[in-house]
Amino acid sequence: MRRMLRTMFVLALALALGAPALPLQAAPQLQTPAKLVLANGLTVYHLRNADVPLVSFRMFIGGAGSAAEPASAEGVAGLAAALLLKGTSTMGADAVAEALDFMGASFSIGAAEEYAQISGDSLADHFPRLLEIAAALLTEPAFAADEFEKERALRIDGLKAAKDNPGAAIRPYFQKAYFGGHPMGHLAGGTETSLGRMSAQAVRDFYRARYRPDRAIAAVVGDIDEAALKALLERTLGRMARPAGTAPAPAIPPLPRPAGKKFLLVDKPDATQAYFILGAPGYAMGDRISAAAAGMNTLFGGRFTSWLNTELRIKRGLTYGAGSSARQWAMGGLFSVSSYTKNDKIGEMLDIVFDLLRKGARDGFGAEETESARNYILGQFPPTLETSASKAAAYVRLAFYKRGFDEYDRYLDEVSKLTPAALKAAAARLLPQDDYVLVVVGKASEIRPLLAKFGSWQEKKVSDPDF
Amino acid sequence: MRKRAWLLALALAGLTLSLPAAFTKEDVRVHTLENGLKVLLIEDHDTPSVALYTFFRVGSRNERPGLTGVSHFIEHMMFNGTPAIGPGEFDRRMEFQGGRNNAYTSDDMTVYTDWFPPAALESMIAMEADRIQGLAFVAEVFESERGVIASERRLGVENDNDSLLAETVRATAIMAHPYHWDVIGWMSDILSWRRDEVMAYYRTYYAPNNAVLVVAGDIDPARTLELVRKHYGPVKPSPAPPPVTTVEPPQLGMKTVVMRKEAQAPSYQAVWHAPSVKDPDFLPLAVLAKPLLEGESSRLYRRLVREEELAIDVSGGISETMDPQLFRIDVKPRPGADLERIDRVVEEELDKVRRDGITAPELEKALNIVRTDFYRGLQTVAGKANQLGATELLYGDFAKLFTIMDDYAAVKIDRVKVAAGKYLVERNKTVGKLIPEGGAQ
Repeated sequence: MRRMLRTMFVLALALALGAPALPLQAAPQLQTPAKLVLANGLTVYHLRNADVPLVSFRMFIGGAGSAAEPASAEGVAGLAAALLLKGTSTMGADAVAEALDFMGASFSIGAAEEYAQISGDSLADHFPRLLEIAAALLTEPAFAADEFEKERALRIDGLKAAKDNPGAAIRPYFQKAYFGGHPMGHLAGGTETSLGRMSAQAVRDFYRARYRPDRAIAAVVGDIDEAALKALLERTLGRMARPAGTAPAPAIPPLPRPAGKKFLLVDKPDATQAYFILGAPGYAMGDRISAAAAGMNTLFGGRFTSWLNTELRIKRGLTYGAGSSARQWAMGGLFSVSSYTKNDKIGEMLDIVFDLLRKGARDGFGAEETESARNYILGQFPPTLETSASKAAAYVRLAFYKRGFDEYDRYLDEVSKLTPAALKAAAARLLPQDDYVLVVVGKASEIRPLLAKFGSWQEKKVSDPDF
Repeated sequence: MRKRAWLLALALAGLTLSLPAAFTKEDVRVHTLENGLKVLLIEDHDTPSVALYTFFRVGSRNERPGLTGVSHFIEHMMFNGTPAIGPGEFDRRMEFQGGRNNAYTSDDMTVYTDWFPPAALESMIAMEADRIQGLAFVAEVFESERGVIASERRLGVENDNDSLLAETVRATAIMAHPYHWDVIGWMSDILSWRRDEVMAYYRTYYAPNNAVLVVAGDIDPARTLELVRKHYGPVKPSPAPPPVTTVEPPQLGMKTVVMRKEAQAPSYQAVWHAPSVKDPDFLPLAVLAKPLLEGESSRLYRRLVREEELAIDVSGGISETMDPQLFRIDVKPRPGADLERIDRVVEEELDKVRRDGITAPELEKALNIVRTDFYRGLQTVAGKANQLGATELLYGDFAKLFTIMDDYAAVKIDRVKVAAGKYLVERNKTVGKLIPEGGAQ
């Protein structure tokens, strides 16, 4: 019904750090939570917030993400996460779904690259039941053979269906083209081929090796007090067994850096629009460039009046949205630019993108622009921590990356002092000139001639299996 | 949000369904200016941020052939300059002050959403008041924005098989009422809107007496109202816009849409004519949608995805609209799935509902889902602003927000069966299928 949004593209600036806060705030952005350490070693941060009768829960399990998968089992982290929801030794998959839905609760388990993430929220009255179910799922998963077959078939069919939407399909193509065989190139959803070869044993092995309470960090924010929570946690998540031996260290090799230009064209013959993603190395979590990078990205492609959106949408009407974003992980990051336009305009669009990348790195940004970026980041930050769920997510994220709960105060203080010189330095480092990966999805017969001038393109067909 | 004791709770069906006293009708200050502008103010100092939402009573239901999609186009043009503030200047000034905005258009309303630090309040109110008094519609900006909308349509409809089918299913089910077309409009209309017609449409609907302003967050209500009076007070009201008088005639038999298109996966959708939000049958159908369609435990998810493995996902429900619209069941079939079989399963499940209704635990589940969603929507000042304004437009009274949970709790279980038997029947149904051809099939 309400689906026509004016700016649909995500304002991805500094997503890693939560995102943009108010200057000159004496109060910290994030209140210091209580820290509860359970007998099994699990750390849980808690903050009471009784504004609405809801409680939010988040947990990261380090090393249980897609980058930890064996190369032979791409997609096993996502599959394990999904299968954890499909029943325990005493409760079948349908009973789990019924119990969660009955409460109106949300509960999910998913795999990011560096961790598995568990998220839930419910009415305060139902929260004990939610955590009981969560604990049962995490400690006594059934991994039943028929559920494995069902989930695998569902995911393979989902991968095929997703290719009907070029705007969605381009992301896995890009991830593969950019990261290649590096573990960060593992698709959380797997591929048709990798899922086809997957064994149920691979899922059980991954779970046993990777779902460890000593690599997990959790947070609970909402309408629950500390004494009640502590008792509840001990009898629920406190049951996750502390495994023998020490936790495996994160073993993700340094991220690949494109040398030269790599071009990939994916043919989708019925597409009326061509979509592109251009990516290059970004920066790691906690890198000193974070504030300057957020300022630079705000101006380059991170908000409505950014250079990209101004040139491609506002001035020329080539697209509904154009933007850039930076993603951070412990080992490094990715800076990417993306948009889409009518098939016959893709050459013109890319010319403009390359012009802007050159101009940004060469000229940087003016004093007034820099002031606007500062104000924007500072002004937009406070609502990002407004809900219990966003606070819980921030606690877990900051603790996982060992950043400290005053991270946002330090970050925003740096933002408030950003200069044009700092932004120019960030642009020179992050806006790719000669070394990048560019993926285009569109109707090849129409766009191939328009792309030839940029270099030599590898081609794939969207109808072929995998990415 | 200010902290206070919880208000407790009338217990119905074993549930406590009232709002916490932390947010009550008394927290909303209401003023109507002489020119008809209704203003709702909510003071909440938890976060140093303000949400300013402007609701206009205009959406695609007010359009006509040739001008389909124009409500949404004007939503875009509202950022493209007035005689006082040049094209793009609204966004530049707002972002310079730390603000961000968006907007949305639905079948029934157009809503402008601003989020900014408290220091920007007067500037924002001034710019919002300015842009309801006349837009520049600069010729070249008009043409460029037309291109943006065409791209939005290609993105959201033409390159998305489910949306493409939904557009045709809607247009087949709804024959006469302007809900016939989607909010985005037909491509040929997008490519041929005339500036004079667009301006006339804007002048008809953008007036203080056709708008509701909601300001929520870190504000001083008295000073905010003063600023609203200062900037909006001089704006002249317009004649009341013409009412939408077309009534959709009853459907007398099932309709079928079959589309063939290159695709990996087919699509299946079924819709039935359904009542408006104010109809007594609305809530029973809204309740039914939860156990039928929501979550992996829902009847149709269990049958179609889990048991028979015919589908990837199932969704749907009743449209929350001013005039009667549709109850939808959207199924994303597996590649190669038998669409006839999916249709039979849908009908078998509806048969059970028409015959036996839903169970008491399903009713309780539905109320839990409604209640949890409701509180999720009230966690932010932006959420409060949005819910208050939308409720004011849909129901004619924002205070309905504070009793809607009670209305849900009062739904008698038998009414669900009766409403299903009245609306979700074959003669009222339109079914749509997208059958893949070529490609990988």
